[in-house]
Amino acid sequence: MRDLSQLYYFEKLLEEANNDLVREGVARGLHPVGSVCSLIPEPLLNLPGCFSVRLRAPRTGSIDIGTYYMSSLLCECCRAILERAVEGGYQFLDCIIAPDACSQMNRCVENIEHLNCIEKEGFFVSYCDAPMKSDDTALRHYVRQMKAHVLNPLQEKLGVDISEENLRKAVEQHNQICRILQEISEYRKEENPRITGYEFAVLCTATYCCPKELLMEKLISVAEELKTRQPDGKPAFRVKVVVAGSEIDDPGLIGLMEETGARVVADRFCFGALPERIPIALNDAEDVLTQICRHYLKMGKCPRYMNAEKVLERQDYVHQLVQEYHADGVIYQQMKFCDYWGYERAYASKNMREKYSVPTLSIDRPYVTGSSGQLRTRFQAFVESLEIKKLQRKG
Amino acid sequence: MRYFGGCDAGSTYTKCVIIDENSKIVAHVTNRSRINPVLSAEAALKEAVAQVEELHSAADLTYLVGTGYGRNKVPFADENISEISCHAMGVHMANPDVHAIIDIGGQDVKGIAIDTDGTVLNFAMNDKCAAGTGRFFESMANAFEMSLEEFSRLSLKAKNVIPITAQCTVFAESEVVSLVGEGKPMEEIAAGIQLSVAKRCFVMAKKAGATDRITLTGGCAKNEGLKQAIEKVLKIKVVDLPVDPQLMGALGAAEYSKRKVHV
Repeated sequence: MRDLSQLYYFEKLLEEANNDLVREGVARGLHPVGSVCSLIPEPLLNLPGCFSVRLRAPRTGSIDIGTYYMSSLLCECCRAILERAVEGGYQFLDCIIAPDACSQMNRCVENIEHLNCIEKEGFFVSYCDAPMKSDDTALRHYVRQMKAHVLNPLQEKLGVDISEENLRKAVEQHNQICRILQEISEYRKEENPRITGYEFAVLCTATYCCPKELLMEKLISVAEELKTRQPDGKPAFRVKVVVAGSEIDDPGLIGLMEETGARVVADRFCFGALPERIPIALNDAEDVLTQICRHYLKMGKCPRYMNAEKVLERQDYVHQLVQEYHADGVIYQQMKFCDYWGYERAYASKNMREKYSVPTLSIDRPYVTGSSGQLRTRFQAFVESLEIKKLQRKG
Repeated sequence: MRYFGGCDAGSTYTKCVIIDENSKIVAHVTNRSRINPVLSAEAALKEAVAQVEELHSAADLTYLVGTGYGRNKVPFADENISEISCHAMGVHMANPDVHAIIDIGGQDVKGIAIDTDGTVLNFAMNDKCAAGTGRFFESMANAFEMSLEEFSRLSLKAKNVIPITAQCTVFAESEVVSLVGEGKPMEEIAAGIQLSVAKRCFVMAKKAGATDRITLTGGCAKNEGLKQAIEKVLKIKVVDLPVDPQLMGALGAAEYSKRKVHV
């Protein structure tokens, strides 16, 4: 398969948080807003005049300083982000909006704040609560929290216009990104997909880390290029898998899976497209903020939602992806020490095997996976077992 | 006659097995690994090929599969397959009645459940940490100033077991040195080390869903003290294999070679 002409451009955007497009956005007078969790609706952070940057810590080496402040028993992603903040990697931010959702990430942001890691004048942090259920009471609470701790601070401290009209504009821009990614994602359902999981992960991750309006043109050109891209005659993969679990902000991990013969066809994790990149439908009968919040509550698949319906819905959803994307198995992966995914992975991977009869690999992993030999062996052994079963079924 | 090779480029030992069309082992080699897996595999293949009159070089093998951590570095290999799949197949060839494996390699411990056809049903594996691996034993034996065989024999003499609390290779060595300094019986400390690794194996076996008819593979399978400790914690009798358990990965790789050509 010919390389995507824009792939290198997107890969470069992922090499640091303060990438070319972020710098361009700042130069244009836009306010960069740090985001650490998918429970804060992205359109709220992408109102005209500001843009969201989902915090990552690419090319992380040692996380000793992060570990000193947070202890070695907390999530490595949170420690790596704190480490990057201490190193000065997020100096460009005007603020960070953090939900009281994951206490570990919360502690990371508190440390960033208290250690004055970001010295930009006027920098502030706003914390808000996010519901653990998805009913009407939770929705009302969610709306109030988003208004008080996201929209109001953006208006009061950064001068962002939070009008209904602007919220609609932000949703439309968000939806445009979603529609392009959905269009690209559809190719992953093909028998011999014309896009690899790694390529998709690069594109999708970039949409979380750059001003959307500046990324749009390049993303559209990739979608155009894909329309006529021809996959290799002989598939360069042995089996197809769905990847579910905690956040993967490094497409290299998807690349590692694919090097062992898997083709990642669907991504049910933070920084993935499913369901995060499903467009938000708006009507004229209700205020926009409530509609955005309802969409996030309804579509949200974070294991922080602990009501039984949501827990089972998440498993059904992964099973549905397996069928829709014609996958041979599921890889449930979890960042080490992630409490929410620790429970979810154990329960879901058991059910995936026993209730849905879907072969499942269940692993925990560090934040930095690099060229981990042990992970490679696990992925490869899983691919081999899937392939053999597949061949046996074919007779 | 056609010959099929399997080369297991492990982190501490490189093993090579050649089988004929009837899956009979016609050559086998076990060498200490060098830092460069290419050189290790090359040397092992050369020695194995020399044991078969009709072969002149590894290139004469009908098919060759590389496995082990250096699996993608094996010269002349037609393909590489993970050591998990290869150990399962190797054990299945050696004894089809075995249902599960505890493989203790140089840098990892694995529990593997085997399907009736020799394929992998489920597996569990340690991650970066070297606790409970061959490297751990080497480090402990070094601390005792003994060979692994002497260390194993010593542990079998123990009437009591002194528990070792540290799982980390570095800290366990410090703990052992402290216990020796306190004048505790060496054989009881050795038995404690065996027990701590056996418990690690217990976890991997259970995670993989291994319940009965379990065998040990890898170099540490020859450690009788460890075998007895595993039998104690798992409350089962470990199945002995008729072939050197350290060769199982290479044997499985060779069998896969044969099947690749015959399929």
